[in-house]
Amino acid sequence: MHFIRGWRRSAAVITAIRSLSVKRLLCSIGSEDDTIFAVSSGQGRCGVAVVRVSGPASAHAVRSLTRGFPAARVASLRSITHPQTRELLDRGLVLWFPGPGSFTGEDSAEFHIHGGPAVISGVLQALGSLPGLRPAEAGEFTRRAFGAGKLDLTEVEGLGDLIHAETEAQRRQALRQMAGDLGRIYQDWRFRLKRCLAHVEAFIDFSEDELIEDGILNDVDTAVRQLMTDMENHLSDQRRGERLRSGVQVVIAGSTNAGKSSLLNMLTQRPAAIVSATAGTTRDVVEVPLDMGGYPVLLSDTAGLRDTTDSVEQEGVRRARQRVEQADLSLVVVDLTQVPSEPQLVPVFLSEHLKNILEHSSHRQQCILILNKSDLSSAEHNRSIQASLERSDDVPAACFLSCHTRDGLEDLLTLLQNRLKTLCGDPLIGSPSLTQTRHRTLLQKSVEALHQYHQYRDVDLVLAAEGLRLGLSSLGRITGRAGVFWQVGSSRSRIDHPSEWVGAK
Amino acid sequence: MLVRRLRFPKTLSTCSIQASDIHTQHYDVIVVGGGHAGTEAVAAASRVGAKTLLITQKIQTIGALSCNPSLGGVGKGHLVKEIDALDGVMGRAGDWAGVHFSILNRSKGPAVWGPRTQLDRQRYKDFIQSELLSTPRVTILEGSVQDLLFTTADPEKPGRHKVYGIRLAHGGGEIHSCSVVLTTGTFLSGALFIGQNTSPGGRMADPPSCAGLSHTLKEVLGLKVGRLRTGTPPRIIKDTIDFSLTLIRLPDPSPTPFSFMNTHTHCKPEEQLPCYLTYTTPGVERVVKESSHHNSHIQQDTKGPRYCPSIESKVLRFPGRQHQVWLEPEGLTSDLMYPQGLSMTMPPEKQLCLIREIPGLQRAKICTPGYGVQYDFVCPTQLFPWLQVKSTQGLFLAGQINGTTGYEEAAAQGLWAGVNAGRTSLSKPPVSLSRTQSYIGVLIDDLIGRGVTEPYRMFTSRAEFRTALRPDNADLRLTLRGFEELGCVSEQRYNEALRVQVSLNDALSALKSIHLSASRWKDKLGDVNISETKSSILNGVEVLQYKDVSLQMLASAFPELAGLYLEFSERLKVEAIYRPHCEKQRKEIERMQAEESLYLPEDIDYLTLPVSLSQEVREILDSVRPSTLGAAARLSGITPAAIVHLFNYVHRNKHRNHSKIVGVS
Repeated sequence: MHFIRGWRRSAAVITAIRSLSVKRLLCSIGSEDDTIFAVSSGQGRCGVAVVRVSGPASAHAVRSLTRGFPAARVASLRSITHPQTRELLDRGLVLWFPGPGSFTGEDSAEFHIHGGPAVISGVLQALGSLPGLRPAEAGEFTRRAFGAGKLDLTEVEGLGDLIHAETEAQRRQALRQMAGDLGRIYQDWRFRLKRCLAHVEAFIDFSEDELIEDGILNDVDTAVRQLMTDMENHLSDQRRGERLRSGVQVVIAGSTNAGKSSLLNMLTQRPAAIVSATAGTTRDVVEVPLDMGGYPVLLSDTAGLRDTTDSVEQEGVRRARQRVEQADLSLVVVDLTQVPSEPQLVPVFLSEHLKNILEHSSHRQQCILILNKSDLSSAEHNRSIQASLERSDDVPAACFLSCHTRDGLEDLLTLLQNRLKTLCGDPLIGSPSLTQTRHRTLLQKSVEALHQYHQYRDVDLVLAAEGLRLGLSSLGRITGRAGVFWQVGSSRSRIDHPSEWVGAK
Repeated sequence: MLVRRLRFPKTLSTCSIQASDIHTQHYDVIVVGGGHAGTEAVAAASRVGAKTLLITQKIQTIGALSCNPSLGGVGKGHLVKEIDALDGVMGRAGDWAGVHFSILNRSKGPAVWGPRTQLDRQRYKDFIQSELLSTPRVTILEGSVQDLLFTTADPEKPGRHKVYGIRLAHGGGEIHSCSVVLTTGTFLSGALFIGQNTSPGGRMADPPSCAGLSHTLKEVLGLKVGRLRTGTPPRIIKDTIDFSLTLIRLPDPSPTPFSFMNTHTHCKPEEQLPCYLTYTTPGVERVVKESSHHNSHIQQDTKGPRYCPSIESKVLRFPGRQHQVWLEPEGLTSDLMYPQGLSMTMPPEKQLCLIREIPGLQRAKICTPGYGVQYDFVCPTQLFPWLQVKSTQGLFLAGQINGTTGYEEAAAQGLWAGVNAGRTSLSKPPVSLSRTQSYIGVLIDDLIGRGVTEPYRMFTSRAEFRTALRPDNADLRLTLRGFEELGCVSEQRYNEALRVQVSLNDALSALKSIHLSASRWKDKLGDVNISETKSSILNGVEVLQYKDVSLQMLASAFPELAGLYLEFSERLKVEAIYRPHCEKQRKEIERMQAEESLYLPEDIDYLTLPVSLSQEVREILDSVRPSTLGAAARLSGITPAAIVHLFNYVHRNKHRNHSKIVGVS
């Protein structure tokens, strides 16, 4: 079970990281002529630490701390000394990246030093003692790279995700996004839409007298339809990319005392939830982040569902139901000893049970039935249930398990992993997935706007063209390469079409 | 209600003054050039109260249509309506001189309808001349300008130089003024091309301008100047054309006037003249190829216009195609026809060979041959939004000198330069027009913000808020402000615009007060296609949005509510269609206006600005030097992040921005 481990330090960290994206990038920044520095290799004791410097005074910093200015982009071994005290701080590699060919677009340098806390703080202090240098704010290097036009917004978001990817699948997805795969799709759509708009605009601006073929609008109709299909396909990915980015919500649900908390503890390999023989022990939602075979999972244990008069337990049941509503995947735990052994009654019992727990039929499709306490029921009973399940179509995938003896755990994990793969998709196969709600919202807006094109196409061409303009500006905002106005204003792309030439004075 | 009547033009009297009379005089504004930009500039400057002098080489050519005998069209028609809304001359002149009115783009939505007319050249010129003569505070002088006069710049305002008048050529002496508007058209270092012959000049049969101005702009003021070219077709003798081989195109049966002050055109509907359509043939292509070595204009690579190209460039670029040729009347009494689409520069004998390859023109005779023109333009990025040269206080440029093509584009700039030159001379702050409010604003913002690489023509696609900037509502957008803030609109026009505004608002509230279900509407209006799927209640404005519903139908169903507004039935229909979309855009417009109102300081040094900008961005900003943050944002190659950094910088340094600007938006 090596593939299960905690993947999430804390929700707060993730939130902080994610806020690196748009808002932070575009927010007001302090003085920009400063040269910034920071440890870029993470906190704590380590073999090698990397201290990065970026800004106009980077060369000065290198000269002040070392002797013999290094060649550009070549690792050079140097003694690193404090500029004032002349004290030797460390011996390490120094790299010089002159702007604009550097990550930030500015003059930058890296000091690869030994990772002891004293060495690191010594070098940081030395840098801080130089005029014009200050410690970098969180995300500031990326912000400068964005400001210099080195990255578009999807690439920045990808970079943020890459730095903080904690499972393998997350890393793959982030890397693809940072490499610009996602941005390229959006760019391609923008380009296609821009062409459509240019044709419609040419059709509007060159009057009937000026020889523009009627067929041009039919071509646009087809192209817009195709574009809408592509965008809708991308949108109808069942949120795979976003799920992979933020974790799959898996909820454990079932009646009281079915063994839900035992399942949680077994999967997390620690007693995260209190387990007792008393029904109604778990009252609130217990949540544990897990890495399952490279996929990030947020596993929650919920209160057993039953009618109760205890107000605290009622609230627990309400929360449990809410959690089930939001889940990507439900693990419904059933106490095997409660299942009737008559073959014809088994499917009916389980269906009824599922209906009670998963109120919406859509949830029943994303669920795994866990028949727990297999050690307590007889092998014969189990066999007869299994046989009747195999004959039945309307019961979801099920597996037998004993949380006590761990029998059936391997089967469950295989089943789970396959489900996770479907839910998240393979980030390396096919077109890159949507990773952010921001993208989804803007894409949906764009599709909506394209609907407006078709709606008005035969009524008022100006309003139809307005749809294309809106669609284009929403698309442009995803990559952040263009805002609303500077986008629309340049919609007249230069197409070399005879109609462009035949103009009256 | 107003009695609206076309003004009858007075005849050209002995209005011109001799240069000798003028020596000691001082004017508020001097306008150099009497074309479409110059005449609107003179009229506008005088309307805002400035004592204005127009200097032109030939009084007879004031208001001359150098090229095509037509006005308006898609985009251009919008400009004419806006010029009229600001009380300019062009729209009324078009109504007076038009002989073939039609609205282009009828099938594409009222926001892009293109009002257009063929003009009677003589009538147009007569109207413009008599209009200027009857304008108070205007003096016209026949003469040639040799140079500009400069004095020490006012240290309180941006600019290194300050203009204080002009020096006339041929020892005509100096004339002083507070502002000078240059509208020299194609005459700035103009050169005419026909066949292999080249001669200096800006228009055939007119003397070239003095080289002094061109030298001063380039060498003294250090302005960046580029070169553009254009051309005009030969004029054909009408009697030699066989119209039976062409397709006739009739005008609209009931002509729509340009001016908001006119209810009808001077030309009666039945007196209108038709146009004729014919096509080029493979023979035309052959003649072009045979003559290309005799054609020096086409061999040079000065940027040719995409939007009114010569037949040579069309044929060479798109061989094997038929190109349209429109035969347009030059006037009611003219014996000439203008072949639109046949601009050419080949030798005259070849021109004759070429036109004779065209159906209907096999026996045609040419009266005057076509020719090409090359001329200097001043890169318009060196101008403020009020069309003043940034480096020179008091100097304004308008028209083709700024790199545009077309009468309407020239007139629009002329009007705006005239308003600002007048205001400057009266010590009033300059004004600018937002691109969210007018096509004139879009035109000027594009010019000064992006510059030009080819002659700039107006297109509706250049306007972001096209549904709001329509030909039908130019008066509501501009007339009220023109009177209240700019002082360039007469009280009579202002009162009319107010009346229209009040009536439209009343009508819309009356219509909004009618609430019925879809099925009830169907009962009331008869067989109209209102979808009943929406069970909700519809008000009168919402119903008027439907294609089949007209105000007349509403008026007969609700005579007491809608019957009062039949005068505005077409405008109300258009309002009903676009209003919801315009409201949706309001937020975007506000955001854009906020960006527009953030002026970037004149003295900003982008190359060393202490903010995080890439070298590429710095270079773009440095070369264009946008006046506002909005203009900077529209430049290609500028990242949103760069805009944020600029915004922060400007915000921090706002107190340093001393030039006070009144934004009109």
